[in-house]
Amino acid sequence: MGTYVIRRSLQAIPLLIGISIVIFLMLQMTPGGPLASSEAGGGRATAERTERLREEFGLDDPLPVQYVNWAGGIVTGDWGTSYNTGRPVLGTILDRLPTTLLLTGLAFVIALAIALPVGILAATRQYSVFDYVSSGVSFVGVAIPSFWFGLMLLYLFSFRLGWLPSSGLEDLRMQHVGPAALWDRASHLIMPVAVLSLIATAQLTRYVRGSMLEVLHEDYVRTARGSGLPERSVIVRHAFRNAAIPVVTIAVLMVPELFLGAVITESIFAISGMGRLFIESADLRDYPVLLGILTIAAVLVVLANLLADLLYGLLDPRISYG
Amino acid sequence: MASPALGAGADAATEIVLQTPARSLWSDAWRQFRRHRLALAGLGVLVLLTAAVVLGPLILGTDPQAIDFGAKDEGPSLAHPAGTDELGRDQLVRLLVGGRLTLAVASAAVLVSIVVGVLVGALAGYAGGFVDNALMRLVDVFYSLPSLFIVILLVTLLGAGFATIVIAIAVFSWMNTARLVRASYLSLKEKEYIEAARTIGVGDFRIALRHILPNALTPVIVSATLGIATAILIESALSFLGLGFQPPQASWGAMLNQSQTAVINQGHWWRGFFPGAMIFVTVLSVNYVGDGLRDALDPRKEER
Repeated sequence: MGTYVIRRSLQAIPLLIGISIVIFLMLQMTPGGPLASSEAGGGRATAERTERLREEFGLDDPLPVQYVNWAGGIVTGDWGTSYNTGRPVLGTILDRLPTTLLLTGLAFVIALAIALPVGILAATRQYSVFDYVSSGVSFVGVAIPSFWFGLMLLYLFSFRLGWLPSSGLEDLRMQHVGPAALWDRASHLIMPVAVLSLIATAQLTRYVRGSMLEVLHEDYVRTARGSGLPERSVIVRHAFRNAAIPVVTIAVLMVPELFLGAVITESIFAISGMGRLFIESADLRDYPVLLGILTIAAVLVVLANLLADLLYGLLDPRISYG
Repeated sequence: MASPALGAGADAATEIVLQTPARSLWSDAWRQFRRHRLALAGLGVLVLLTAAVVLGPLILGTDPQAIDFGAKDEGPSLAHPAGTDELGRDQLVRLLVGGRLTLAVASAAVLVSIVVGVLVGALAGYAGGFVDNALMRLVDVFYSLPSLFIVILLVTLLGAGFATIVIAIAVFSWMNTARLVRASYLSLKEKEYIEAARTIGVGDFRIALRHILPNALTPVIVSATLGIATAILIESALSFLGLGFQPPQASWGAMLNQSQTAVINQGHWWRGFFPGAMIFVTVLSVNYVGDGLRDALDPRKEER
């Protein structure tokens, strides 16, 4: 197992290098390359200034040299400076990252908190009304465009009922203290988290149900029932522990999806997280910031894949790695 | 009293079995598909929707860009079943015309992704060895790329247009097809009928194209169908973020984007409700059809 962990982790390195090359080349291949479009769009830079900037950012070096310089910087913590603000890229991103992580984390917890009990209950009562309703709702949930869901929530709870604020993460008009501050924060988070977790919850519920149904027909579950164990113990200790193995894998893989999906949520609710930073930077052709965000997102995807693989082996003793 | 009835039943059963004519894969699949009521309903909705989107604007005869300040910001009524916007443009005809864009982009993106996926998968599966390894690592890399971000990036940097949006979506949806096709090629190329073809001197290219490909495409059908739903959602998300189709062109996602202030600040719910509902109904129908196809084409599933 130990060697497997090391070997599998080492496999992630060439993958990351491959990804970083694809990302780097993709940005280079845009018409005119870096600077060209942003200068033309702004219309304020003289040829002289463009020349100076090209030199400053090393854009006249051959591509492999540029790549090695950039990748080396990423590893050593020097992520370059933003073309737009002149601030270090790493700091700019780290300012925005906590907001996005908060949304991702809350959405993940909510998705699990709903999907696990609902999925298990639906499976143990297959073909019951509860099963039909929850399965129907989760099938429908997968097809709902999250931005539409968000817009309709905003109409209902902000415009019509006036219960929840429509944008941002805190009340900018007044400073709240104590419980009021807590409610202020919570009221700003309810709708964004609901929108972000919608699809994940629906998908996860379907997986939990399917996985439980498969396990419930196994012989050892019948044996456990036959030996007179209470139903609750059969479901939780015998069935669910085995059904959970594929569910854990899927759940881990959902984290990067939620993280990426936050870009839409942040846009609907005007929350300045990393997703909005990405769109703003794309608009301004701020390549160093774009590369930085893509790197973080790619690392997250690779890490989630790695973790899912490792957990699968760790949780399922039937899988051995020679 | 029970036994004659049983005997008659058994006779009838034998007769039915004997009289069953040989069925092709497709007629068999269609029989299976028809049993899946929701899939059948989904197919019906999709056919109606496509007809409405293609023919509707011609029948209504309304110009989607016709401005009428006398009828601006009106809720749903008989004259304007989906209401009007701040310029008094009829939203129903805009929905239908926008649907053409959304459906065309999704179909084109799926088509491109199938072509790329089949090419890569067939090459990897048929050639094997180093080529297979290299191509599958490429698939791994594309699976690990943060797709939504890169789609946003491609569309912003290359400029939003029909072709750009199609390519940006297709770039991240060919991998599943490639894996499926590769797996089919790996198992099919060892089959006896391929060996037979080779013995009588059929060339590699012809074997890969004429003898393996038709049999490798069945699993692709389901993934392509579900791919349409994903493509619709991606296009809508892009347009909703204001990065997709630009005015005066308006896909459903773009209509949602333009409706934001009207819905949130003025309460004109119809501006956002209808475009979103169109996306939702389409995606739901496509998913049901995909589900039905999966059941119908699954060879492991026994006849009930």
